[in-house]
Amino acid sequence: MAQPFPYTYYSCDCYDSKTASIPTKRSSQPPPPEDEDERTFDPRNPRSNYSLYPLEHLLYCEDCQQIRCPRCVIEETLNWFCPSCLFEVPSSMIKSEGNRCTRNCYNCPVCTSPMMVNSLEPPDPNTDDRSGIGGPWVLSCPYCHWSTVDIGIEFEKHTGITQQLSRIANGGKPIPTQKERDKERDRRKELESKKKEREILSESDDSPTVDRRRVDGSLSHEELFSNLSAFYKSQIASATPSNPFSPHDINFSSPSSFSRIMNLYSSTSSKKQKQAKPTPMREAASTLEGLTIHDSAADATAIERIKKEGWSITLSSTQKHDQLNPNMQFDDELRPVATLLRTKRGKRCRNCRHILSKPESKITSTRYKIKLLALNHIPRLSLRALSTTTAQQNPTPGTSAPLTFDYNALKSGIPTHFLLTLSNPLFDPIRVTLATPSTTPGKIQSRITILCPQFEVGANTDVWDDALSSSLSPVKRGSVIGPDGQIQGGIEAGKIWDRGRNWTRVVIEIVPGFLKPVTGLAFGGNGGVPEEMLNEDEDVLEIPIFVRLEFEADVSAEDRGLSDSKESEKDKREKREEAFWTVIGVGRIAAI
Amino acid sequence: MSSSIGGDRKVSLGRSVRGTTPRLKDLASTPESPRTPLFRSTSSAYGSPGGSFRTEDEYIVLELGSRFVRGGFPGESTPRCTLSFGPDEQRRVGDYRQWDPEYTLARRKRKRGQEWGQEYELYQMDLSQLDMGLVEDKFERAMREAYNKYFLLDPKPRRILLALPPLMPRQLLSTVLGVLFGNFQAPSITLMASPVLSSVAAGLRSALVVDIGWAETTVTGIYEYREVHQRKSIRAGKLLSKEMAKLLNHELDEWIDDPNAPKTEISFEEAEEVLSRVGWCKSRPKSNRRTLYFPARTSPVLEEFEDAVESPEPVITIPFPRNVPPTELTIPFASLAKPAETALFAPNTALNEFDDDELPLHHLIYRTLLSLPMDVRGLCMSRIVITGGVSSLPGLKTRILSELDALVQQRGWDPVRSYGSASERHERILRERKENLERRREEGTDKVGESLNPETPLSAALQEQEEDAIEHKLAHLALKNGPPPVCTTGGTIRGVETLGAWAGASLVAQLRIRGIVEVERDKFLQHGLAGANREKDVSVVPQRQSIGPGVGRGAGERGSWTLGVWA
Ligand SMILES: [Zn+2]
Ligand SMILES: [Zn+2]
Ligand SMILES: [Zn+2]
Ligand SMILES: [Zn+2]
Repeated sequence: MAQPFPYTYYSCDCYDSKTASIPTKRSSQPPPPEDEDERTFDPRNPRSNYSLYPLEHLLYCEDCQQIRCPRCVIEETLNWFCPSCLFEVPSSMIKSEGNRCTRNCYNCPVCTSPMMVNSLEPPDPNTDDRSGIGGPWVLSCPYCHWSTVDIGIEFEKHTGITQQLSRIANGGKPIPTQKERDKERDRRKELESKKKEREILSESDDSPTVDRRRVDGSLSHEELFSNLSAFYKSQIASATPSNPFSPHDINFSSPSSFSRIMNLYSSTSSKKQKQAKPTPMREAASTLEGLTIHDSAADATAIERIKKEGWSITLSSTQKHDQLNPNMQFDDELRPVATLLRTKRGKRCRNCRHILSKPESKITSTRYKIKLLALNHIPRLSLRALSTTTAQQNPTPGTSAPLTFDYNALKSGIPTHFLLTLSNPLFDPIRVTLATPSTTPGKIQSRITILCPQFEVGANTDVWDDALSSSLSPVKRGSVIGPDGQIQGGIEAGKIWDRGRNWTRVVIEIVPGFLKPVTGLAFGGNGGVPEEMLNEDEDVLEIPIFVRLEFEADVSAEDRGLSDSKESEKDKREKREEAFWTVIGVGRIAAI
Repeated sequence: MSSSIGGDRKVSLGRSVRGTTPRLKDLASTPESPRTPLFRSTSSAYGSPGGSFRTEDEYIVLELGSRFVRGGFPGESTPRCTLSFGPDEQRRVGDYRQWDPEYTLARRKRKRGQEWGQEYELYQMDLSQLDMGLVEDKFERAMREAYNKYFLLDPKPRRILLALPPLMPRQLLSTVLGVLFGNFQAPSITLMASPVLSSVAAGLRSALVVDIGWAETTVTGIYEYREVHQRKSIRAGKLLSKEMAKLLNHELDEWIDDPNAPKTEISFEEAEEVLSRVGWCKSRPKSNRRTLYFPARTSPVLEEFEDAVESPEPVITIPFPRNVPPTELTIPFASLAKPAETALFAPNTALNEFDDDELPLHHLIYRTLLSLPMDVRGLCMSRIVITGGVSSLPGLKTRILSELDALVQQRGWDPVRSYGSASERHERILRERKENLERRREEGTDKVGESLNPETPLSAALQEQEEDAIEHKLAHLALKNGPPPVCTTGGTIRGVETLGAWAGASLVAQLRIRGIVEVERDKFLQHGLAGANREKDVSVVPQRQSIGPGVGRGAGERGSWTLGVWA
């Protein structure tokens, strides 16, 4: 699966233990074995993608004594910064300016590369000084060569691009500011109402058509939104009975739905307010108020453009998606995309709120003040093909024995031996019990046998301690490598393969399944049942392994303090257990 | 909804069609009537002193669809992010293959037993096919991306305004709320129906919202911000995309022209890409037009375009880099309009051959209008808001509106399909209008509506109505204070553009208007997680007030809980 074989994923089971909010120490109550058998972890289940992580991605809560995945932590933003100019943005600016860099950082709307500010004038080769070069300036993409020239935008200065860009529409026309827009809207509305007054007085009963009051040109999404917003604000303001003497009251003899609801639900509405009958909130009546009547001309124009100019002027879905306003279709509508800010975040255990990781606040630093990694608490499982190791250990010059094992071509039906290594990061020796289903779940059934599912792994003590320790002596084994590079003997059920200071190796025998169902006799070729296509990665051989650890650890200082402080004997130990599922990606089964 | 008292919480999908002509008073008592009143209270900036609204509350605005979730902040015109649920979003952590150019250039295969595009869905309405845990996984991951990558918030918890389809199954809703409360610490979530918000974002109080989404098209009659009727059809994005794939497979096979080559099966992405870039919809064929009635704004460009037989036939070239070998396909431009034709309008099938849930769009809209009370219909037909992912297909809105217009011209509003002559129909319309006007005048006097039903408190909808009627009388007095006449436009087919449900939700949250369906975190965690067996009885929303008849199960029991439309 995109990771090189063989790989190991670790499962955090927070997804199906909704009880995460209730503090439990799972270690004290291991689930009964039958229960586990029933719930064999299925790496083929789409849900598994959400609970499996490489060990490096997992944290560990020492208080809860549990793995913590991105899903069972709470994240807290510590600071904001632009990944492009590394400027740290204060939180007040996040509120006012949004989540993008407001300096000169832009990404190409076509290919997302970071853009550069360049002069349209040919650069003077004699000087490196930018200020010496004259404008006009453009944002351009060094990768695909798209530039703001393509949308008719040039800048006067090479700094403050964001401010300049916000004032220029594609094609070079200025964009009015919000203030100017509001002013213009008020002016137009004033004009409109005067006109209407005249119409009503002159008894012209015909309602003015919408078309007549349409402003020229279609408004942008943004403009329509601000018109709508202004309209609703004014309606709510005039419909609120805060001005009981407003002329609205005399106009209508019945309450609107709005004021009805107001009266019903506002506990503070007085009698007087109830009597007041405000103007009902009406609907928007013009584009100035955000109303846009469908115009078939726009549809026709779009169709004509596609017909005339073809595929190349249309935008891909990714390009549209990257735009701030994704409601666009053609390449002349593109805008450079300001770089999205990033954050540094601390992580806490969702259950007990203890800090699990906290990065250094300096933007350029990639170090952590605190980082409780699971790999310091959970044994690492790694798999290797047995034939490879042995072949490499005993290089036989001149033979054609395969030196490298091809994990991308596992052979169906051939028993193959692998070595599973467990290395222990803990300072205490652990007793390990492994469990695995005898056949892999899913369409392609491979057989798995762990030859020695129960064993011990030494403590992660100093090498010096290791030398003094005599309890774990290396295993003697007399294996013979046959001419085909396969092991002839020495593999015994119930015996470990090898052992070191804080690691132990056991043998797993795997019989990769068949990609196609084996039919007894293949008469008439592929007649009969049509062959089913394999899904993506269905030929990948993954084995779920349930790992249970038992060990004795020092009672943590805190707990000891709580129990009894008098008995401060050094060797106060407690029995602990951990259990979790892992998934090992062995390789890809070769098509025959 | 009264129909759901004590019953199971299944949302009735097929709403009954009433045989008799509906009248306004039905509106107040029919199960689908008063839904979620939009406005309950206003901000303290505008509202009465001591209003309960907490100004310091900050909101996040979310819109949920079957293939995306949009998120952002109130008062902004576009969401900060639109997140999808494709295979690339479902990979394991540490699986970086989507950045491998070799991988991305390969054509993707559909999984066995999966429907077209199923791998790209967050959920589907058929719960029997749905792994609710997987929905939770997908939604949680998407929301985590939204919060961490796009929202970039300080740790302060934010309330959530959630726009979602009105017929969201309860189990699904519970899953979504569970994630938002549990993993994202929202203190409260306000639920609002997408069609209502679409009409808000169109500047309308009443509308016929046609949401052409992924799995289905829903047509919702909105009257005074309440949903009064809804119908749906499977003629929507999924069918359209399937048709496009069919067309492209066929064209590619012809283009490659090798009998030994395996049949082309383009991927979902390829079909979607072609559809969104160069797909289009033809205007209504002229030969079918019986009654020529077109609003003046139909552009001459369009007319000219339909009539001209172009020669040489315009063609378009589409690159297929994922084909083996990569190729460029040149096909007639006109053929790219065929999928929309087949999937959405099905012109070659007789109307009686369609199941109820597969009506062509114009018939679906027409029937929805037909089942609306006359007054509501008059308003709604002039406020047709077409939205949803597919609605941006060039030419589609125009086509729907002209098909609908033709249908109305041809059939009028008899519930029984009639082929009456044009003059008869014309007379009838005039008669109806006159009666209607007179009735409204009567009601317009002081004792509004009491004659209709003394027991039933008036729905807001009823009361609003008569203002339109007396407007003429008051026009002279009102001068500039009365609503502009365009606000009462009715009786003709007219399309109105919307900025979409998300923008509507953003406006509502910006104006600090509170919806009636608000779920509190503590209550949800307490009852929502108490166990599935209790879930049936426990409704998680406090219904603070009852709003006249028929709203929620809590009518008359103040302080009880309701999920409003979603109950
Ligand atoms: Zn977890
Ligand atoms: Zn920057
Ligand atoms: Zn570029
Ligand atoms: Zn913890």
